[in-house]
Amino acid sequence: MNKTNMNPTTLAQRRYLRQMAVMTVAYLIVLYVAVTALKHGHVGDPSLRYAVALLPLIPVATLVPIFIGYYRNTDEFERRMQAESLAIAGGVTAMLSVTYGFLEMAGLPHLSAWWTWAVLMVSWAIARPIVGRFYCQ
Amino acid sequence: MKNRLKVLRAENDWSQAELADRLGIARQTVVALEAGKYAPSLPLAFKISKLFLRSVEDIFEPGPDE
Repeated sequence: MNKTNMNPTTLAQRRYLRQMAVMTVAYLIVLYVAVTALKHGHVGDPSLRYAVALLPLIPVATLVPIFIGYYRNTDEFERRMQAESLAIAGGVTAMLSVTYGFLEMAGLPHLSAWWTWAVLMVSWAIARPIVGRFYCQ
Repeated sequence: MKNRLKVLRAENDWSQAELADRLGIARQTVVALEAGKYAPSLPLAFKISKLFLRSVEDIFEPGPDE
C-alpha cells in the first residue's frame, strides 16, 4: 500500500513509536554522559554541575510534543482512551502523593520527587489497557 | 448506542481491519463501535454513512437512555 493511501491512524502510531524509540536512545546516551561527567568530577564549577545534571532534560522535553503530536493525529477513540487513562493516572498520583505527604508529617521518611513521576507513569501504563478492556470486551 | 455496522460490514464482505482502513481509524475503534461501547463523533458517523451509502439514522440508533 502506498504511504499516502495508508490509514492515518496507523501512520500516526508508527511515527510515534519511531520518535519515542529515537528519543529514548538519545536520553540514555545523554544520561550516561552527564552521570559519568558528574561522578568522575569532570565538572568542577557548581553552576556548571547543575547545567550538566539538567542535560538529560533536553531529550525528555521532546517527548511532550511527540506525545501531543500523536494525540492529535491518532483516531478519536484512542484519544478518548488516552484522555481517560491520563485522568485516572493523574487522580491516582494526586491521591498517593497527598496521602504520603500526610504520612511524612506523621514521621515517615522524606521521599524523592522522582516517586511522583514514577507513580504517574506506572499508573498511566496500567490504566490504559484497563480502559481499553472496558470499551472493547 | 446500537448500530448495524457489523451487518453492513458483513454485507460488503469486509474484515474489521479493512473497514478501519477505509475509515482511516484503528481496528480497535471498529471493535468498540460494533460492540456499541463507543459512540462515534458526528464527523465519523457521517463518514460511515457516506461509506455505506445510508443515512446516519439507518445505521445508528440511540439506546433506551439516550
